[in-house]
Amino acid sequence: MLLAAPALRGEKLVIKGSDTLGAKLVPTLAEEYKATRPGVAFEIAAEGSTTGISAIIEGTAQIGMSSREAKATEISAAAARGVRLNGIVVAFDGLAVIVNARNPIARLTPRQVEQIFTGDVTDWSAAGGRPGKISVYTRNTSSGTYSDWKDLAMRKRDYARSSQKLAGNEQIVAEVARNPNGIGYVGLAYLKAAGIKVLPINGVAPTRENILDKKYAYARPTYFYCNGEPAGEAARFVEFTLGPGGQAIADRLGFVPVR
Amino acid sequence: MPAPDSRPHLLARRRLRFLGLTPDDAIRAFFGGNAVVAVIVLALITYFLVREGAGFFGQNRRNLEVYRLAGLEFVDHLRAQEEAHTALTRRLSELRLQAFDRLSRGGADAEAAERALAPFDAYADRFGVAIDPLRALGSELADVATAIKTKFAVNEDRKEERRQLSAEGRTAEAERVEVVPIDFIAAARPLLAARDRHREVNRALAAELTALLTAAPAPPVPELREPLERFGVEVRAYVSELPAIERRLETWDQARPVSLGEALRAFLFGRQWLTASFWQDWYGLLPLLTGSLLVAGVALILAVPLGVGAAIYVNQFASAREQRVVKPAIEFISAFPSVVLGFFGIAVLGEVLRQVSHVPWLDWIPGFPFSERLNVLTAGCLLALIAVPTIFTLAEDALNNVPRALPEASLALGASRLQTTLRIVFPAALSGIISAVLLGLGRVIGETMVVLLCAGNRIAIPDFTQGLGVMVEPVHTMTGIIAQEMGEVVRGSIHYRALFMVGLVLFLLSLGINFLAQRILRRYRLAPS
Repeated sequence: MLLAAPALRGEKLVIKGSDTLGAKLVPTLAEEYKATRPGVAFEIAAEGSTTGISAIIEGTAQIGMSSREAKATEISAAAARGVRLNGIVVAFDGLAVIVNARNPIARLTPRQVEQIFTGDVTDWSAAGGRPGKISVYTRNTSSGTYSDWKDLAMRKRDYARSSQKLAGNEQIVAEVARNPNGIGYVGLAYLKAAGIKVLPINGVAPTRENILDKKYAYARPTYFYCNGEPAGEAARFVEFTLGPGGQAIADRLGFVPVR
Repeated sequence: MPAPDSRPHLLARRRLRFLGLTPDDAIRAFFGGNAVVAVIVLALITYFLVREGAGFFGQNRRNLEVYRLAGLEFVDHLRAQEEAHTALTRRLSELRLQAFDRLSRGGADAEAAERALAPFDAYADRFGVAIDPLRALGSELADVATAIKTKFAVNEDRKEERRQLSAEGRTAEAERVEVVPIDFIAAARPLLAARDRHREVNRALAAELTALLTAAPAPPVPELREPLERFGVEVRAYVSELPAIERRLETWDQARPVSLGEALRAFLFGRQWLTASFWQDWYGLLPLLTGSLLVAGVALILAVPLGVGAAIYVNQFASAREQRVVKPAIEFISAFPSVVLGFFGIAVLGEVLRQVSHVPWLDWIPGFPFSERLNVLTAGCLLALIAVPTIFTLAEDALNNVPRALPEASLALGASRLQTTLRIVFPAALSGIISAVLLGLGRVIGETMVVLLCAGNRIAIPDFTQGLGVMVEPVHTMTGIIAQEMGEVVRGSIHYRALFMVGLVLFLLSLGINFLAQRILRRYRLAPS
């Protein structure tokens, strides 16, 4: 009886994709949403934007969270299966460059960021810091942030061979906080951890105002992808996310609201 | 002799026949059936692995062909030239570091050192900026090549869409899907036309670099004289290689086909595994294979002495009470779920090892001190922990299986217990011990969670120039890459099949190790008396 009750009342929303959205934002949105519509069960799997888009193409999820735009090859691969990838912008996110709190470096230029992450420069002394081999921490290939960073900061070049691929924002924060020579990139929602320092790029810090004013270089929209127009429960959830309640939650967690 | 059926039995035997079989036969058939099912399942798994993975080589061949046809190979020759220059700029950076270090130790403060290095800095800046025209040309050509490749990929998908719609019978919609034939030769003409510009850029670059060399600054510290001379030699070598690159671009054949053997070699001996690239995806096994083998090697170096030593002790020297405590304790280690061990590695072991490596009196150990806490050593220690119970149990079994006649004869002839163990029992059980070690290796190579969490996830062949210091490099493994990238692949895509191929290689490796272990065991085992 207890098991039958939720099944009678609501349905299950399967949401897969980005770790940037799925680690904190979407679970919080789901909790708030469940408060207004009990009986809806959420299944949220945040293993990277590419998994979200793959899931929509294969039909294993109703909403695909993505922190990057779908590539042309993904759109055409979807069309080959009769799926229309429809991206809805739900929030803006900034990507901040973090280093260990004990690193004496106080700022970086976009060129230096590119050189560090592509491996052109391998020692901190070349960037103006204490001598030491730079340990570059990145997300892994299933992450939309991985792809966005290549687009925004590295002029589409590939990452340094010596970069280490970690599974999520929290792991990058943890590694950079423990390695004095570490550098990485995380979303705005993860900046308040101990042991890390956020570097301004060209003197511009990744704050909400700077992103809204388009002064900060590394900002990107984050998407919910659906097959065509969302329907049923998914449509109601997307509407909630884009409404005042959802955007307030995004704001509170460090994202930049769409309006 | 009375017939068996008419004799009275102690237990009344009901002569049921189930499907024509007596109960005994039925039970035998049940067990036999289960065995057959196990073999069939194994065969099916192997078949599916091979089926999903085999399509990879055809797709990789196509992948490499498009790499050539769309002009990416052409642009990569240019980029190689850029990379070589960047390596030289890095050298200058290292030299500056050495000079700064020397000046600081000589007593100059930071400001004075910076002032002394100012001419060197100006030189290094000029050197770094010299490559900019080439970089701009490369960037422009890269855009052209990427555009060709994207058009091709989108076109392929449209063809697939049309094929699917036709298969479903929706011919009208199928007709509406626009499929544009791609003419690679025509599309790549801007690339070929850029060769003249490349020659000009190279001439300017050669002139600039030669001018720079003649205007080289005086070494800021005397120790830098020789390195700077060597640097000059390297730059001259670089300049003299520019015509070779131009020749390579001249003789580049866009339409040369890629053979299946080449695709196979590119997988088995490829030095790069790079996916989700904006430029070109490479599916080379070597970084993953060396990572797996390194981690397994470190694990065995730690686990074999521990496991075999413990087995010898428990079997030969321990008292009954000690045996009752030690044996279950070691076997209890295998009760740890590997993900718990991996978590322990991230949370505790990695950091502890790094702190230990910074202890000053330990810096004779190759690779110490190190700064990455997720590396081969951390993963190797945890894998050793996983391997020890396997090796221990099997080695102990092997020692037990030594015929009692041998140690008894040895003891009777007056040998001590230690001599008997080391000279008689251990060599007699050697085949079993080797087999135990190989099975431990097989166990360790297939371990996923620990290496995914603790090995560092750097997809590159580790730097062997450091000798044994390669132990503290982060690596990625075959099992780790499958676990990490499995969720993001689309069924049937080249990446999907590449992961299946990696799985197949892993499977064959484990199969080979197990087969070897069994062969050794069977061939050299002494008959129990």
